[in-house]
Amino acid sequence: MTTAVTATGAVPLGRLRREARTYRALGRAAFRSLVAYQTSFLFGLLATTLAAVAMLYLWRSVLAAGTVNGFDWPTMKAYLLVAFVAGSLVSSYVDYRMAGRIQQGDVAMDLVRPVDYQRSRFAEALGFGGYELGTGLVVAAAAAAVFGGVPAPARSSLGLFVVSAALVLPLRFGIVYVSALVVFWTRNYVGVQSARIALVTLFSGGLVPLAFFPGWLQGLAAALPFAGMASTPALLYVGGLAGAAAWRAVAVQAAWTVGLWWLGRAMWRGASRQLTVHGG
Amino acid sequence: MRRNLFLYRRCLGAQLRATLEYEGDFWIMSVAALVTQGMGFVFLWAIFRAIPQINGWRFWDVVLIYSLVALTEGIAVLLAQGAWSMAVTVNLGGLDTVLVRPFSPLLQVLSSQIGMNGLGNLVLGGSLFVAALVHVDATWTPVRIATAALVFACAPLVKIGLNILTNCSAFWLKTPWSMFPFAFHTLGELARYPISIYGIGVRLVLSLVLPYAFMSYFPATAVLSLGDAPWLGLLTPVAAVWCLLLGRWAFHRGLSRYESSGS
Repeated sequence: MTTAVTATGAVPLGRLRREARTYRALGRAAFRSLVAYQTSFLFGLLATTLAAVAMLYLWRSVLAAGTVNGFDWPTMKAYLLVAFVAGSLVSSYVDYRMAGRIQQGDVAMDLVRPVDYQRSRFAEALGFGGYELGTGLVVAAAAAAVFGGVPAPARSSLGLFVVSAALVLPLRFGIVYVSALVVFWTRNYVGVQSARIALVTLFSGGLVPLAFFPGWLQGLAAALPFAGMASTPALLYVGGLAGAAAWRAVAVQAAWTVGLWWLGRAMWRGASRQLTVHGG
Repeated sequence: MRRNLFLYRRCLGAQLRATLEYEGDFWIMSVAALVTQGMGFVFLWAIFRAIPQINGWRFWDVVLIYSLVALTEGIAVLLAQGAWSMAVTVNLGGLDTVLVRPFSPLLQVLSSQIGMNGLGNLVLGGSLFVAALVHVDATWTPVRIATAALVFACAPLVKIGLNILTNCSAFWLKTPWSMFPFAFHTLGELARYPISIYGIGVRLVLSLVLPYAFMSYFPATAVLSLGDAPWLGLLTPVAAVWCLLLGRWAFHRGLSRYESSGS
């Protein structure tokens, strides 16, 4: 900080550029590692694709009789596929790697590295995200083709949709990062992860639009970080959110994105103080 | 047979004690299983709040199918979780130890693990199963009770057989990960809903190629007399035997090409 004051702006700018290069390299390495070990990732993707296909079939039967809760079949298709792509982001490896390193004690090495831990993981999440987004879009496009196409995004909320879609990755990163840090205390990862996935999948509206829940549960889901992970962008895509409600949903999404980032910071401070590394 | 059962119980018992050493993990996994299956129930409940039935299946009928998948999962995880360890065992050459012991290699592999999420699945699946049986619209004649006992008892064996079959891919793939069988496991989860909602291709796969539907949908049709051909559900015991035999056949085929890890 002192150097920043004494040198006239040149040092912080240089440092900033150096840091940006570091994080970019981390992101690129993450992307490449996913491409290099594609097989296991693609089998994982196949699993989530099958689940999404089951949902499409289920909703086709449910909506065969007509519109329910404001959703007809074409709208629901678009909603589910946008939710699917949103759900494929930060779905792999970030927390898996973190948890593994925490359990093995390798995280001690991360503590001595001259880069910020959380920003490094975020850079990796962006790297993975590039690949996840690509494959997610391909699967969604294929599913859309099989199920007879989806309507284009609603014009009226297109701008907000873009903002909301851009917030999905940092928001999902927040919850994934926080739940991976829990491993510092539980030393168990599989259980925490599967419970988190179940909660997020349901309350993000990824399987069933939140409009199908009773009022109190809808309110709860909308106030929690979950809705922003699938429901908000998907509703904006199909034009299910308009006016003040749309702005409010995106504001909640942005607030949680920032809030979870700082919660992650606070947890990391507490966690690194109580880390146990076994000898060896 | 008697000796096999005895040894199987002893192996599982040893695994159970090992598992309970990690008490914290055990509770976390049990709660996680409860949450996961509970969310599935909430999902069904949310849909059926809006509509009375899907293809003639009402809420509790679908809950019965859903609970059978959860129960089956719980039983498979408690009694035959070892199938999922095959990828690592084969990759590391761990079958060497198994092969020199005087007890069926397949049974050794199957009893080499106990999944900690089994109890959570059993508790929630069991509760939903009982609740569904109380609520479904069926007259419980002696014949129906006998049918139910038979088909529901055989349903988990279908899943165990298919778990063995898909996990035997380890002998050919030789990777330490179980991604390939896991993809099929997810395919099996399509059987959580009445399979009449799917297209003909998916239905054929789930009933004939990898008959996951016999762990849930078909037994339920037989007991509830629902669907196009409820009598098909009576074939559940046949499907169970068929899947177990397939699993055993694949294991022996795999074993014949197993060449250890060279270390």
